[in-house]
Amino acid sequence: MALPILSLMIFVPLIAAPLAYILGRYSERAVKIFVLLVSIVVFGIAIYSYASILFSGAGAEMSFEEGPWQWIPTFQGIDYHLGLDGLSGPLVLISAFLTILVVLGSWDLIKIRQPLYYALILFFEGSVIGVFTSLNLILFYVFWEIVLIPMFFFIGIWGGPRRKYAAMKFLLFTYTGSLIMLLGFLALYIFASPTFDMQALALVNIPFWLQTLASIATFVGFGVKLPVVPFHTWLPDAHVQAPAPISVFLAGVLLKMGGYGFIRVNLSLFPDASQTYSWIFMSIGLITMFYGAIVALKQTDMKRMIALTSINHMGFVLLGAYTFNLYGVSGAIFQMFNHAAAIGLLFMLTGYIHEQMGTREIPLLKGLMKRMPTTAVLLMLGSLAGMGLPMFANFLSEYMVIVGAISYNWGFAVAVLVPVITAAYFLWMIQRTIMTPLKNGTSVNDISSISALHLSIYLVPLILLLIFPWIVLNLTNVFAENLLQLVG
Amino acid sequence: MDTPMILMVLLGGIALFIPLVEIIFKGDMRGKFSSHLTIGALSLAILLVIYQPLTSPLELTESSSGLFRNDLMGLFFSVTVLIVSLFVAVASLDYMKGEPNEPIYYSLLLFSTLGMSLLAFSVDILMIAVAWELMSIPTYILTGFRKHDPKSNEAALKFFILGALSSGTILYGISLIYGLTGSTNLFQILEATSALTPGMYPVALLSMLLFIAGFGMKMAIVPFHMWIPDAYEGAPTTISALLSAGTKKAAFVVAIRVFVIALPVLVLDWQITFAFLALITMTLGNVAALTQKTITRLLAYSSIAQAGYMLIGITVSLQTELGLIGVLFHVFTHAVMQTGAFIAAAVVTKKIGQTHLNTYNGLGVRMPITALSLTVFLLALAGIPPLNGFWSKLVLFSAAIDGGFTWLAIAGVLNSAFSLGYYAWIIKRMYIDEGEVMSRVAEPLAFSSVLLSATAIIILTGIYPAPIYEFARLAVSTLGVI
Repeated sequence: MALPILSLMIFVPLIAAPLAYILGRYSERAVKIFVLLVSIVVFGIAIYSYASILFSGAGAEMSFEEGPWQWIPTFQGIDYHLGLDGLSGPLVLISAFLTILVVLGSWDLIKIRQPLYYALILFFEGSVIGVFTSLNLILFYVFWEIVLIPMFFFIGIWGGPRRKYAAMKFLLFTYTGSLIMLLGFLALYIFASPTFDMQALALVNIPFWLQTLASIATFVGFGVKLPVVPFHTWLPDAHVQAPAPISVFLAGVLLKMGGYGFIRVNLSLFPDASQTYSWIFMSIGLITMFYGAIVALKQTDMKRMIALTSINHMGFVLLGAYTFNLYGVSGAIFQMFNHAAAIGLLFMLTGYIHEQMGTREIPLLKGLMKRMPTTAVLLMLGSLAGMGLPMFANFLSEYMVIVGAISYNWGFAVAVLVPVITAAYFLWMIQRTIMTPLKNGTSVNDISSISALHLSIYLVPLILLLIFPWIVLNLTNVFAENLLQLVG
Repeated sequence: MDTPMILMVLLGGIALFIPLVEIIFKGDMRGKFSSHLTIGALSLAILLVIYQPLTSPLELTESSSGLFRNDLMGLFFSVTVLIVSLFVAVASLDYMKGEPNEPIYYSLLLFSTLGMSLLAFSVDILMIAVAWELMSIPTYILTGFRKHDPKSNEAALKFFILGALSSGTILYGISLIYGLTGSTNLFQILEATSALTPGMYPVALLSMLLFIAGFGMKMAIVPFHMWIPDAYEGAPTTISALLSAGTKKAAFVVAIRVFVIALPVLVLDWQITFAFLALITMTLGNVAALTQKTITRLLAYSSIAQAGYMLIGITVSLQTELGLIGVLFHVFTHAVMQTGAFIAAAVVTKKIGQTHLNTYNGLGVRMPITALSLTVFLLALAGIPPLNGFWSKLVLFSAAIDGGFTWLAIAGVLNSAFSLGYYAWIIKRMYIDEGEVMSRVAEPLAFSSVLLSATAIIILTGIYPAPIYEFARLAVSTLGVI
């Protein structure tokens, strides 16, 4: 029997998590090293699996498939079934990649209750990879909910001053959304076909009314996570209160679960309803983009501004996914990948700036270029990535989504305005923080060169993918082509 | 092997013997001896009950008297209540240590457990009435066990008056049914009611309503729930666990037997009644739980809400097999997590001396094992996967959709989402808030072992729920087989 690669990626971190906690009670340094090693091992497995599906061109079908093995034999349809394809491959890779960076980023920033913190990081990683690789709706739901628990504690224990409020709000919003999604899954099970297997359900001819109802239910579940307007209100609070490394997880990994769900469940299982009502979903995506961009314009808290940028960028995913053309769908997946790296860098930078300067208020951060030159340069680069300038791969993915949307309908050309607004607020922020002359400011420490090196790692995939976009697009295009062919 | 008879001899015999300990031993030995004897008896009972389906599956023997039916449904419920009692007995090792009349406490506990187990097997409404009293009367005394505590007295009095009323209601229902059908055996009632003349229909309906009111009092259904928060608060907390996880479950098995086996003729009537009762029970339970200030009252209302979820299953029990499977599954999962939660509350009450929710601030640091297990119990109560509470709710909600009560499934789901509000609130207090005092508190071994084994059951049956599900499914599929 072949090695169960996907189960390894899920259960190595999940089993290592309690070990890390026990280890951490003896030495806090040991737990950091242990967790870093585990996350590197998982990343290694992720690269291996990614490379093997990339070079075999197997983006369309499931590779490394495990199962289906019956979970409750007499409750038909609940199976343990995993697989990796052109949609989940990039997301698993970026999750494993970000975990390493989160561990590195937490090294000096997190000072209290470290054993619990690092154990929860591994717990989070394992369950997120479980979400991206599950091929059974119940298994998917199980992992989907497990993710909430570490995130609740991350925000609640290590967060900012209003962390309790933000943690509860996050938990209640997402839990309500996912329960409604579960109702949709149950309706599918009972009215369409007695199975929760995604591949089996894709072959079933689900009646249109059921597709419509189920897409509404899943829209609530995935929409809260993505998030789309009007379910987004938990996100700015959660982001602002969460510690910087956890914001990386939130924006880089947790939000992707929503985008993944839309493509994996809504597009593949409810193609008729999704195509008929695609204009509604695309309009919601467009509203989300504009909302995120316009509200970000007037923010003074740098972290809140970046959180709203996340909303803005995730709107692209919804817009692209529902275009039902190659550019849009492939671009949406690519956008998720790029957004994770770019926004991670920006969040980490706000964390460092907050620690050194004691504030994140943009009007108060003057003369950053003089006071923290390395940080300022990185902030500039991160902002350029956030704007979608052709220096970084974000440009490509945003371009693909917009092209996809325009080829769906000319009206969606207004989406072009969003990057313009995004560029406006990023440039304005840079002008107010980096470019302003320094008046009687006290000297502060710039980030250490090790931190600078660690932050530069975020930029590696963004530059690499601009030059060699085939690394991701070869997979996502094959996946999207196959999906579009199946849904007709 | 005739399980009800064996249990009667084993548990009843020891329960009768234990008061003698008061005479034989002196001082500490009284409590020690009786508690260990009780734990031994309960463990032996669990082994005996489990042994039977493992060796001779599906052997449906009717006891010679015709009062009991030795089937899987009975075994399922008796295992559940025996586990609950065992947990309660082990936790009482520390909780009741040094209290006066310890042997009596254990004796009453065993009597009540015997009553619950017999209820699980009864197929004769007279036997049901007798077992019901055997289960109830010891719990009245146990509730008022702290005779110098006015709260305990008040709780016992309230509980007793309402309990006596409910017994009376049930007996009235029984007499009407006997008058209609000329029999007290559930299967014979089924035959007789299927030939009911339309003129007798209102009488049958009246007896059905009397049954719902009578059983509903123990099942914690709104509007018969008034006694619950007071009784749970006033009783020794371990006894609250027994009431909420044990007697309530026994009432459910009786309801299943009476309504599903004997009265399917009236299905249209009891179905719609249960559907509305389920809706108001879970909604009121959850809304009221949100405003509580003490842990015992909060858990009491949460227990009411959970009864509402189980009613969903009974509502659709005749449309789909999943309905009753869901009830049984949820009875088991809820019994374990609710006992665990009350016992965790008992540790805190015993060691810190208060039940107010503020006591729980910073508990994650002060009592790590208790806090961790309580977190697992609360998440399981809220239905977060992969804990077992998720699976039982999943089955219940699928059953509701399958049985044509989609609105009930939606209501249940919204209620679950709502309930996380107060469950997570306690978790937030334990791990995120800082308490006024942050010193470590010793956690007694007896409590920790119960809490950790309940946690282990919840996690293991959550990761691999198949055996429990299969047990419940077999129990349901052989329910009506004569």
